[in-house]
Amino acid sequence: MSSRTGTDTDVVVIGGGSTGCGIARDLAMRGVDVTLVEKGNLTHGTTGRMHGLLHSGGRYAVSDQQSARECIEETRILEDIASHCVEKTGGLFVQLDEDDDAYYEEKLQGCRDCDIPAEELTAEQAHEIEPYLTSDVKRAIKVPDGAIDPFRLCVANAADAERHGGRVETHAPVTDLLVEEIRAEYVVNATGAWAGRVGEMAGLDIEVRPSKGVMTVMNVRQVDTVVNRCKPKGDADIIVPHETTCILGTTDVEVDDPDEYPEEQWEVDLMIDELSALVPILEDARTIRSYWGVRPLYEPPDTGTTDPTDITRQFFLLDHAERDDVGGMTSIVGGKFTTYRLMAERITDHVCEQLGIDRECTTADEPLPGSEDAGVLDDYMDAYGLRSPIAKRSTKRLGSKADEVLETDDPNPVLCTCEAVTRAELRDAIDHSGTDLNAARIRTRASMGNCQGGFCCHRMAYELSPEYDERAVRESLDELYQERWKGQRHALWGEQLSQAMLNHALHATTMNRDRDPANDEEPGIEYGAFDAGPGPDAEADRSATAAADGRVRSDGGVSDDEKDSSENGGTGKQEESTRGDQ
Amino acid sequence: MAISDDVLVIGGGLAGMTSALAAAEEGVRVRLLSYKKSTLRNASGLIDLLGYADGGIVADPFEAIPALHEGHPYERVGVERVREGLDLFDESVGASYLGGHTDRNALVPTYGGTVKPTARYPVSTAAGLASDARPVLLLGFEALSAFDAPLAAEHLRAAGVPFDVRGVSIEFPKRFRADATAMRFARALDRDEPADDADIGTRAALVEEIKDHLDGAERVGVPALLGDEDPEEVRGTLESGLGVDVFEVPMGPPSLPGLRLEDRLYDALDDAGVRVRTGNPVVEFDPDDGYITTVYTDRNGQHVPFEAEEIVLATGGLVGKGVKSDRQAVYEPVFDCHVPHPEDRYEWFRDGAFDDHPFARFGVSVDRDLRPLDADGGVEYENLRAAGSVLGGYDLAAEKSGSGVSIATGYAAGRAAGECA
Amino acid sequence: MRVTPRGFDTEFDPAQVFDDPTEMDLRPGADNCYKCSTCDTSCPVAEVDDDFPGPKFQGPEQWRLKKGDDRDIDPSITDCSNCMRCDNVCPSSVPLSQMHNTARGEYVEGQAPSLWSAEDALADGEFREALSYLRGVPSELSIEFVRNRVLSNYGTMAGLGSEVPRLTNLVMGSRVTKWVNDRFFGITAERDFPEFATQTFREWWRERGGPKVESADKRVAYFHGDYSNYNTPEVAKAMVRVYEFFGYEVRVPTQRCSGTPMFANGMLRDARRAAAVNISNLSDFVDRGYDVIASCTSCSMALGQEYPELFDIEGTQEVSTHTYEALEYLRIHEDLEDELRDADVEFPDLAYHAPCHARNQGLDRQAVELFGELDSLEVEDVGDSCSGISGTYGWKTEKYDTSMQIGEEMFEHMHDATGETGLTECPTCAMQMGHGTGYEIRHPLEVVEAALVDQ
Repeated sequence: MSSRTGTDTDVVVIGGGSTGCGIARDLAMRGVDVTLVEKGNLTHGTTGRMHGLLHSGGRYAVSDQQSARECIEETRILEDIASHCVEKTGGLFVQLDEDDDAYYEEKLQGCRDCDIPAEELTAEQAHEIEPYLTSDVKRAIKVPDGAIDPFRLCVANAADAERHGGRVETHAPVTDLLVEEIRAEYVVNATGAWAGRVGEMAGLDIEVRPSKGVMTVMNVRQVDTVVNRCKPKGDADIIVPHETTCILGTTDVEVDDPDEYPEEQWEVDLMIDELSALVPILEDARTIRSYWGVRPLYEPPDTGTTDPTDITRQFFLLDHAERDDVGGMTSIVGGKFTTYRLMAERITDHVCEQLGIDRECTTADEPLPGSEDAGVLDDYMDAYGLRSPIAKRSTKRLGSKADEVLETDDPNPVLCTCEAVTRAELRDAIDHSGTDLNAARIRTRASMGNCQGGFCCHRMAYELSPEYDERAVRESLDELYQERWKGQRHALWGEQLSQAMLNHALHATTMNRDRDPANDEEPGIEYGAFDAGPGPDAEADRSATAAADGRVRSDGGVSDDEKDSSENGGTGKQEESTRGDQ
Repeated sequence: MAISDDVLVIGGGLAGMTSALAAAEEGVRVRLLSYKKSTLRNASGLIDLLGYADGGIVADPFEAIPALHEGHPYERVGVERVREGLDLFDESVGASYLGGHTDRNALVPTYGGTVKPTARYPVSTAAGLASDARPVLLLGFEALSAFDAPLAAEHLRAAGVPFDVRGVSIEFPKRFRADATAMRFARALDRDEPADDADIGTRAALVEEIKDHLDGAERVGVPALLGDEDPEEVRGTLESGLGVDVFEVPMGPPSLPGLRLEDRLYDALDDAGVRVRTGNPVVEFDPDDGYITTVYTDRNGQHVPFEAEEIVLATGGLVGKGVKSDRQAVYEPVFDCHVPHPEDRYEWFRDGAFDDHPFARFGVSVDRDLRPLDADGGVEYENLRAAGSVLGGYDLAAEKSGSGVSIATGYAAGRAAGECA
Repeated sequence: MRVTPRGFDTEFDPAQVFDDPTEMDLRPGADNCYKCSTCDTSCPVAEVDDDFPGPKFQGPEQWRLKKGDDRDIDPSITDCSNCMRCDNVCPSSVPLSQMHNTARGEYVEGQAPSLWSAEDALADGEFREALSYLRGVPSELSIEFVRNRVLSNYGTMAGLGSEVPRLTNLVMGSRVTKWVNDRFFGITAERDFPEFATQTFREWWRERGGPKVESADKRVAYFHGDYSNYNTPEVAKAMVRVYEFFGYEVRVPTQRCSGTPMFANGMLRDARRAAAVNISNLSDFVDRGYDVIASCTSCSMALGQEYPELFDIEGTQEVSTHTYEALEYLRIHEDLEDELRDADVEFPDLAYHAPCHARNQGLDRQAVELFGELDSLEVEDVGDSCSGISGTYGWKTEKYDTSMQIGEEMFEHMHDATGETGLTECPTCAMQMGHGTGYEIRHPLEVVEAALVDQ
């Protein structure tokens, strides 16, 4: 209970995406008693479903220079405070022979206007950086784009909020703003594309215009630099190297409902067809899945933009007291991932003003947890008895926690060989996320490689035992396997279709998970009707004890009591699977 | 001048090897061309015939086969050929497999903790059958993350097995690096390498470790790692040391039982005088008036010709790459035989991971002589037959029918090719 | 009409994009991997040495985990013996050995940049600069590097040795030399150095006056390799006699080592130099209508597969598509089977071992299949295990035990076989077979020669 106001907490922040986590951190650091609530996992919404680009601002340097300036400033800050989440890949704006010269010049000038370092490259220099670029390259502009892991960033923000006294409640859907289960003095609606939904509960009309975009995940990194096509903004014009993969993006189509919209084949095909003009090997390269995200676009009433591509990427702070005469609540809409911290700063300033608190924002200066002493990472390479690429990946993911997690005397096998995730790292994730293996997945990247979990989902699930019972393990496995299947459906041809068939054969044929008798309704299998072995006596002896209904346990088998307890004692099925599935 | 034989089998998996053996029985000269190692090394080594039909479990596959839909590979060849194919299999693998004494399926515990119906099983798995009421101890190894013995035991209990089952995880008596391959375990047991902490061999040390956990169990199940060269001796040593039966739980890839089966069948091919050539893919062929006269293998652009009277296509399915696909279509890469499939790529799958997926049934369709049919239902080539998972019209995973179809159609195609040659 | 269906012609060729193999980005090659582990089941090293994680990790997994500028290849790459069996088994055609070769090359470059720079400086005559590179290099590293370079440049050493073969044999066989090699260079004292022939093949060829048969349409250029030249000229002579028996004009182009030992040691710079000479000389012959014939299956492997996978030298693909193993070429172009069927040959019974590199080219059963037709001779295949020596691998002190453990199975099967003479196409497999059993080891061409030519 908040000592200051007599409510449960001073401020409730709704939404565990980048903005919500950023706000929670900022408020907590300024000494405000804050509780963040999220209906799923952290990054459940848009944050978990973006391409992971850390914008230099180059993309907006022509169309939206204010956003561009904010981007370059925030990128510099994040490289500093969140180094374990960021990969400084650099970015290229590539002009092909057929592309407009005038636009290239505008882009270059725009970058310079916005203080975005921009270096001009000849075609040859561009090929030196990215050998797989098409031979049709005319020239390119190099900018400081980067790649960022949104999940690690959100977790770091949430952890820091908690360290400063805040609370983070995941799997806590907001059902009604009037039911005072958590009573707060002030509410921040940071639910992005879902802001309209939350607004409705308070009788508010918030005109977010959710717009979907596809992200197609390649199996390997064909490029190590963010590659943008240097032409006016359009569909399928960017390739972002992300961890072991490249992500192709994207489309921009307005949707009615951020939870229910069609995921369409033309979108995936468009990514491959368009972007292989830039990097030709993409044409025959393997994609492992596709996913869609929903942008939280907003424009003030009566702007009337028809094409979602033209809607501004700036953010808006809607104080519902001023706007709608509903006190105690502000919504933040629009904006983009790269500037999440700045958005948080602005809204925190606003909330503090409302609460009469006068504290400076320090989120741009204080490093996020995990990112301290990042320089030490290199020293870990030879430790832990891991092969060097595995140690390197793990330590990068774990940041300054690496020592604590990876130092173990027990056997530490690699569970996910595609992404180099060891047992120790997965168990650490499970300590935080329980039976929700999808949450463990986005913490570790386990099951996110080329086999899409075919060879590791079960290994991951087995790590839940003995802490959780068999039924809970089985359900978690089914849930993870299904979630992995969902994204793969959009990549089912060529190698990934062969992979899908191999996974299917492994899980259905060898393990018989599709017809698992443990999932059967009564009466189950008649064990006595099957072969008990060829021995002369075996037939008579053994099948006699296995009576026709297959339920006899004459030799002290499991009692009914034990069985019941295992059925009822399982951990309940978690919320719908998490959606962060890059 | 081409390298010449009577029957040419393309594909070295279960179907191809069975075809070659069946053709050789007809007294003709047979050559088997195999590009890579077959998917047997991924498979459990169990010989599934038909485990499920119409969504229900099948106790007697021979009763269920005649009721299968038109176009199913078993319907194409008929139940008699299925029996004859299995006879040839039994003869070829000798005492290393069991199950031929009855028409009924056996239920074998899987490493996922379920049981599954199968028709023939390696002798090393025999003591583990789920219709046997003797109490079981399952044993796992700490570093081997794919098999969690206590959990598998709990799962088997949930599956209602009619016996007492417990599971325990121990350390393998010789500690390897945590990512050592299954082959390393098998080798240590094959050679009975010295254990880490004692002056005894790995086998004896394992016996000592297991003994403490027996506690009334009459049979002990371990992951299928008990030797590659001499699995019977390894298992025998453990059994006599423990005084109880020991069985293997078939694992995922890499599969030792699959490898051993491959070795057995290769020996059978040698005994039958089949000539084998591995390592290079068939990439071209000469068609002549509805017949295929010569096929060419490729090695770095260099083509080697092989000619034969009759040809069997046994190149596998999507996993074995006998069926391939791109964003537009599904195709058979060697002879470009017609593969029926929906035009819309989003009709190739269903939304649930274990739903009834059309892709699982992709493959060539054939007449009752197993000759691939073109889009109009005509025979593609008079002297070409297809066998195994290159065939469409069945879902080996859902039905648990993969090995059975390979054996039955391999046998039928090989025998017909041998008779015609 | 010949039909080429779709499906096998879309393989990705990174050599078009990168000119230096140590710069090559093979991550796209990982696309084919679906993790089935079949490669791991075929790896002879991983089976005995769990410090070696197996080809799947070394190939597609390690490559996929790389980021652009990563240079830290796991050191276990040097434990790979380059037997290339994984290539032959992968059901999904992952370019495993290419990945291993390239990673090993990168690793060696990364470990020894100063050594390479010193060598380049020396080549340019910049001695002072060369010395400056060598300061600060740990002596173990430079010794291992020098040892690996000596082993992988066998031809150079052999060329010197065979100038005075008897003296060299005496010196190399001496216990003192072996002790020094083992102690200071890490070359095992357990093995006997191969003896140098008193007359090399090329000397014999010159003395003989070159080819005895001339032909306008049946012409082959013989790539004999170092070993048949310096150590087993009888194999090379058999090749010449058998081909001339069939009416071929045989030419013997100037040549250097095929590069096999250099690949295995990550010495890609050396390999590239040797390959450039070979490709240039052989492509001259190919242009004039000759096919290239090798009697050593590792040589045919290098020319046929490794060159086009690793080098972008002009003429590589042309030489590759025209290179054949000696017996296979006769099977395609002559009715060798028929000729052998009626032959009467005096030759001891044989225990045949298929070299891994022969297996990789689909030739592992050829000898047994062919000689199975001979009534007067029994030949048995001793199984599909690896001999374990893999070129220079088994010569290294630290690898000797692993090498012998891998070979154990083959030795046992050789002892079980009826024949007490070994048969194989590969000279280093032959060393290992002889070392493990004490048998004399022959080459299939010698059997054909005995059957057809000597009568």
